[in-house]
Amino acid sequence: MSEIMKYDVVVVGAGIAGPIVARNVAKEGYSVLLIDKKPAIGAPKQCAEGINISVFEKHDIPYDKRFINREIYGARLYSPSGYTLEMRYNRVSGVILERKVFDKMLAFYAARAGADVLPRTEATDVIRKDGKIIGIKAKKEGEPIEIRADILVAADGVESTIARKAGINTYAPLHEFDSAYEYEMLIEGFDPDLIHLWFGNNVAPRGYVWVFPKDEDRANVGIGINSDNPMTAKHYLDKWLKENNIAFKKILEVNVGIVPVGGFLRELVKDNVLVVGDAARQVNPMHGGGMAEAMEAGTIASKWILEALKEENFELLKNYTTEWWEKDGKRLERVLRVRKVVEHLTDEDLDVFIQTLSGIDAEKIAGGHYSEVIKALLKQPKVLMSPRRITLLKELL
Amino acid sequence: MTEKVRIIVDKDKCYLCGGCAGVCPSLAIRVSSSKWEFFQDKCISCRICVTACPVGALEAEVVEGRA
Repeated sequence: MSEIMKYDVVVVGAGIAGPIVARNVAKEGYSVLLIDKKPAIGAPKQCAEGINISVFEKHDIPYDKRFINREIYGARLYSPSGYTLEMRYNRVSGVILERKVFDKMLAFYAARAGADVLPRTEATDVIRKDGKIIGIKAKKEGEPIEIRADILVAADGVESTIARKAGINTYAPLHEFDSAYEYEMLIEGFDPDLIHLWFGNNVAPRGYVWVFPKDEDRANVGIGINSDNPMTAKHYLDKWLKENNIAFKKILEVNVGIVPVGGFLRELVKDNVLVVGDAARQVNPMHGGGMAEAMEAGTIASKWILEALKEENFELLKNYTTEWWEKDGKRLERVLRVRKVVEHLTDEDLDVFIQTLSGIDAEKIAGGHYSEVIKALLKQPKVLMSPRRITLLKELL
Repeated sequence: MTEKVRIIVDKDKCYLCGGCAGVCPSLAIRVSSSKWEFFQDKCISCRICVTACPVGALEAEVVEGRA
């Protein structure tokens, strides 16, 4: 007989969304268990570690220098022929985190708020009784355990094992994912106050190469490409580094992962199971970042978990789906539409757009508020001369 | 029809990122923090995992002729 543990809420996965949910629910006095299969929370990461500065205040996360490698003042985009587009602010716009410290601290905040936290504990299946899910089976340092809980939160990343075992169809076709590969390495010659993004069909099909500075001479250098590409992400990144004569022999870390960039899980709740973060494919489909999205989803999910527990009415959990779609889903759907257009751009198109757009335009596009920008682009001579470009852009209006 | 395959991992190349398990339509791959596992009975021989792997650590080995 395996050990049986009992909680109000069990959260599977201590990435970004999981600990936020665990912290918010535990803070109100409910019993919460947060588990993660990794022996060390936060490592290995699958992330370029860049995040907007606004999330700290918004989600009540301390601005703690222990997990902030570097403050960033903007971004520079590079087109295939070398045109650049720069967004530079006179204040800090984002930071490059150290995920192995950040995730651990998020779990620490959850534990300090009252949650129990168990790493090296892997959920293997759900437990059903009379057709209802009453908990999960897990292995804690290899020993089988049963965790009974009224509410389950699947925050278990792109694999979303628990959501799928719970009968939630999180499956998406391969074209809706990006494959990513990244070195943390020594690199010089790029303004360390900006993040740098390179676009081009031979550089990074459908995606981009990034340099996210963690120091003046150290950065996350990575790539994301469409997952159904016959070549690997590693192949494209190494090729880019070689072609640009960037030595990559001073490497501190290698990171690998798959990113859902093609749309979002429609139903985020089934009975007493909620899906958050990468598991629900809640990722910005334009840049592939999902930390802010995971925080937002975790915040909304925890609000409705608390309501459901207070009112003892689990029907209320469904409001997480409704509120997420109203708040973040709608915005991300607009971003996805842009991504789907960008996907069809030739290198020449990318040159024209990057040459023509301003930093403010790029920001609006990335945020999904793009209609003015598209209208202005449609008046550009190089766009007007190309019926194909006009068709592509009009799809966005 | 597609050939029935077995998926093999090159453990020295694999980072245990779990991406293959995420894109698998039939839960035929499980990735724990210390090992990669394949379940032949669940595999539908689509080879999606092989294509998706960011480092090319997976290979499909034909186990039977045409289905």
